[in-house]
Amino acid sequence: MRTKERLFANLDIPLLVAVLLLIVIGMATVYSVTYNPNSPSIFSFGEKYGKQLIWISASLFIGLLLLLIDADIYRKFAEIIYLISLLLLIVVLFMPPINGARAWLGIGGLGVQPAEFAKISTALFLAKTIDQINLKLQNARTIFSLLIIVFIPSVLVALQPDAGTLLVFSSFLFVFYREGVSFDPLFLNFINSFRVVRFKTTWLGAHFIPFLFFVLIISLLSLYLSGSTYPFLGGSLSGGQLLCSIITILAVIFFVLIYRLGYTRYRKNNLFVLLSTYVFAIILVNSISFIFNNLAKEHQKNRIELVLGLKEDPNGADYNRNRAMAAVGSGGLYGKGFLQASVSSVRSNHVPESETDFIFCPFSEEWGFIGTFLLLCLYMFIILRIFYIAERQRSVFFRIYAYCVGMIFFYHVAINLGMNIGLAPVIGIPLPLMSYGGSSILSFTTMVFILLKLDSQRKDVLR
Amino acid sequence: MSLENRKYLLLGLVLFTAILFTSRIAYMQLIDDSWTRRAAQIAEKRREIVPPRGTIYDRNWKKIVINQISYNLMVVESKLHDFDTLSFAKLIGWNESEVARRLMEIKENEGYYLNPASGKRESNFRKDRPYPFIKDLSLEEITQIAPHLGDYNGGIYEEPVGTRFYPYPNAANIFGYMSEVTRDEVERDAFYRPGMNIGRSGIERSYEDVLRGTKGVKFVVTDATAHEIKPYANKKYDTLAKPSPYLKLGLDIELQAYGESLMKNKKGCIVAIEPKSGEILTMVSAPSYDPNLLSGRKNIRKNYPTLNNNLHLPLFARPLQAEYPPGSIFKLLQSLICLQEGKIRPNSSFSCNKSVVGCHDHPTATSVPKAIQYSCNPYFYAAVRKVIQPNKTENNAQDAAIGLDTWHSYMSSFGLGKKLNVDVDFSAQRGGLIPNSNYYNRYLGKGNWAFATICSIAIGQGEIKLTPLQMANIAAMIANRGWFITPHFVKSVGKSGPRKEYLKKHKVSVNQEHFEVVIEGMRKVVYEAGGTGKQARNDAFIVCGKTGTVQNGKNKKNHSVFIAFAPKDDPKIALAVFVENAGAGGVWAAPIAGLMLEKYLKKSISNLETEDYIKNTSLVGTH
Repeated sequence: MRTKERLFANLDIPLLVAVLLLIVIGMATVYSVTYNPNSPSIFSFGEKYGKQLIWISASLFIGLLLLLIDADIYRKFAEIIYLISLLLLIVVLFMPPINGARAWLGIGGLGVQPAEFAKISTALFLAKTIDQINLKLQNARTIFSLLIIVFIPSVLVALQPDAGTLLVFSSFLFVFYREGVSFDPLFLNFINSFRVVRFKTTWLGAHFIPFLFFVLIISLLSLYLSGSTYPFLGGSLSGGQLLCSIITILAVIFFVLIYRLGYTRYRKNNLFVLLSTYVFAIILVNSISFIFNNLAKEHQKNRIELVLGLKEDPNGADYNRNRAMAAVGSGGLYGKGFLQASVSSVRSNHVPESETDFIFCPFSEEWGFIGTFLLLCLYMFIILRIFYIAERQRSVFFRIYAYCVGMIFFYHVAINLGMNIGLAPVIGIPLPLMSYGGSSILSFTTMVFILLKLDSQRKDVLR
Repeated sequence: MSLENRKYLLLGLVLFTAILFTSRIAYMQLIDDSWTRRAAQIAEKRREIVPPRGTIYDRNWKKIVINQISYNLMVVESKLHDFDTLSFAKLIGWNESEVARRLMEIKENEGYYLNPASGKRESNFRKDRPYPFIKDLSLEEITQIAPHLGDYNGGIYEEPVGTRFYPYPNAANIFGYMSEVTRDEVERDAFYRPGMNIGRSGIERSYEDVLRGTKGVKFVVTDATAHEIKPYANKKYDTLAKPSPYLKLGLDIELQAYGESLMKNKKGCIVAIEPKSGEILTMVSAPSYDPNLLSGRKNIRKNYPTLNNNLHLPLFARPLQAEYPPGSIFKLLQSLICLQEGKIRPNSSFSCNKSVVGCHDHPTATSVPKAIQYSCNPYFYAAVRKVIQPNKTENNAQDAAIGLDTWHSYMSSFGLGKKLNVDVDFSAQRGGLIPNSNYYNRYLGKGNWAFATICSIAIGQGEIKLTPLQMANIAAMIANRGWFITPHFVKSVGKSGPRKEYLKKHKVSVNQEHFEVVIEGMRKVVYEAGGTGKQARNDAFIVCGKTGTVQNGKNKKNHSVFIAFAPKDDPKIALAVFVENAGAGGVWAAPIAGLMLEKYLKKSISNLETEDYIKNTSLVGTH
């Protein structure tokens, strides 16, 4: 039996304070960006800030309730919660579309997005599933079951369509990696079927996830560099060749410095590793440019070209991003001041969705680099604090859930800020705890308060 | 690597992203200012506030030039997305092809330039600049159109333009007119935007800088449809428009109107000056026109060609620009010079020797006043000869050169032979001609001339040329007994008083006592038997005047001239009347001058018969 005193005693105060601070900043920004001089009171419930205030109050109230619920129920009911959210994701597909997406479940004038909550339920269910798997005895079935848990809601979200949330689901792959989920069984099954060589383990299988993202970054770089030639060691190389050479040189440095010094028995393989890296890089770079030039659809190509700065269309396809970046860039060091956003206020309407997905614009326009830097620090603090909380859990379930929350946060912040500052294409995704909108606020508060509750009970778990 | 260490990969990923984003944001916000410029381009608009143009009053505070507002329909091509020509054409009551033609016309009007960078001929037309699509719509017309302009996202909007209204249909040549700025003017002076008006002539032009006022600038935040939302940065950078000060003229609009009515159907001028101040009371240029005919572009388009092609040149400001031989009024100046040079004394007598030059029959002029009274030509030949041929050297020609240059310096001090610099456009003024030795050396050859060659200058004929304004100024100078203030229109800009150069007295190099002799002569001209200017006579005050009958080549009627001032001892008004091809000075110019003087000094006319006759007689079209 827990006393009331114990209920809040183990709450992680730094995270709680940081999250509450973020909510306050978000509320102020929503107020500033949607400000209507005719009803300046923050309690004007006809205005967006009034509505946001209701959502925040409701979310915090629900958060408080969550603190009263014993954390064990999440583990007990993870499957049921997951199934309910899948059901909602299916139901929502039969709703009338709003802005071209069937993402909203209307409840008497108020709409919620099941996708926002699917992230939590998937995180909980994944945590429970991974916890139950004996990671030392992985096989293709366990990996498939994990992938399917992520895959089903991803597909349902993709059908809405909601590219942002779809992308966020891929953040769970990093959690897999942290927990040691290996893709080796898949690779081994494949390689061993040739009956030429037999491997017990592959590097690629074990580090498949970071490798995947490394490939992604290389791909983008190769596209960015494509189309022009660069001076290199006296000669000149095409973008693709340059990238291959750089990768190889990095590989040389890596192997020479790390492997040669550390693991002398691999030395004889060095040449083989270098050659295969180079060949891999060439295949990769060439296939990327082939896919991009021949297989990608025109509008996809456009978007990528716009982000990479290969193309400019400030009043057409790049309208939003161009105006968003102008708003951010015009903030200067100190910003224009509260209520002074001239480009990104809702009334000026130059940046569409500036109270929701593009709320970072008015914030950085009004508070300048100083404010933006502090906001970035606050987000980083929250994410790293969640990682820290994750690492101190005795329970695997708790840890996985915490990592999931941390990665969801990270993805949202990275993609959202990225599109505001021209490092990512425009993908509709809210900025956690700042963007206007009930579902987003409610889901992130729920997510964080469940985490806080789990964390406060970490000492109840026996090792 | 243990699984535990894999957390560093996640940590690294987060930190890498944080550093990448921070540096990117720092670059965008602190280093690269192209985004700030882009933001300004998107949302912050500079709006200019043009103050109403200055009002002009006459000397009795009557409003003589005021503003009326009309509207231009402006078009900005870069903001016309999906421009529906048909509905726009319907809105303004045109048909579609007319709209398209007008758009083309706007582009064509801007002309082309050779781009030095590309070597191509490129249009001066700029898509982001507003151009007037329809000009000078009235308030009634624009209220039909304006409510529907919101559909064009700021690509088409109305803009008020100040045009002038003249309550009195007079003094057109003084005020000048305004017309739309040219492309060059827009490029040269940041004040102007296409579609604005600029003073083209007269006071509107010379006082353009004052009359236009100081433009205010406000910076506003606009929304995506270019509508103003709020002031930018709490009006920190805004400047207020300064309304332009009024202009107060020395002009008496009633006298001006009266003068114009007298000069109706005649060609010529009346210029009246207040001698003490140099203020121009009246400057009639006949024929004239109603200045409202050239107010606003619609009117200009309609009326300018007619006025410009009129044979009698109503647009030509005769008092400032026409140069005439002065005729006998010049004898006043000759008297002054001869007296000052000591070549004659007030009671000098010369016989009327008609073998030298023609004259009319009159008693012998036994004094300077009588010579003036009779306007005796041989008298002045003899007198001026003594000045031009001072017998300083043996060589007759050299002697004449010395004498002529002495004479010329007197004339110069009277403000002749050079522009007076009245406060209208300097280039629209002429200075007349007073020849000096260089002049004749150039045209006749050095040593080839002496007084005998150039003797007609003695009676104000020959090469001598004066503008009517200069003639009036001579009257003012004599009225002042030896000084004048440069004639000018504007008495005061706002409350600041006259310009400094219009306070300066120009002293002439003739002593005051000689003026009394000449003035006595001028009195005799008007009041004594045998005087040529009796028609200017008035019993209520003493008029001093001098007639002139300007020979005008063969087969053409003489010009009729009269200069005068009154009252004799405390002159309030000095004037010159010049009637082209009217005959003798005493017949037309003198009675007109008499009426003008009475109108100004007494505000009523006693001799209605003469007034009626003059008003109703036409002197144009008879030749």
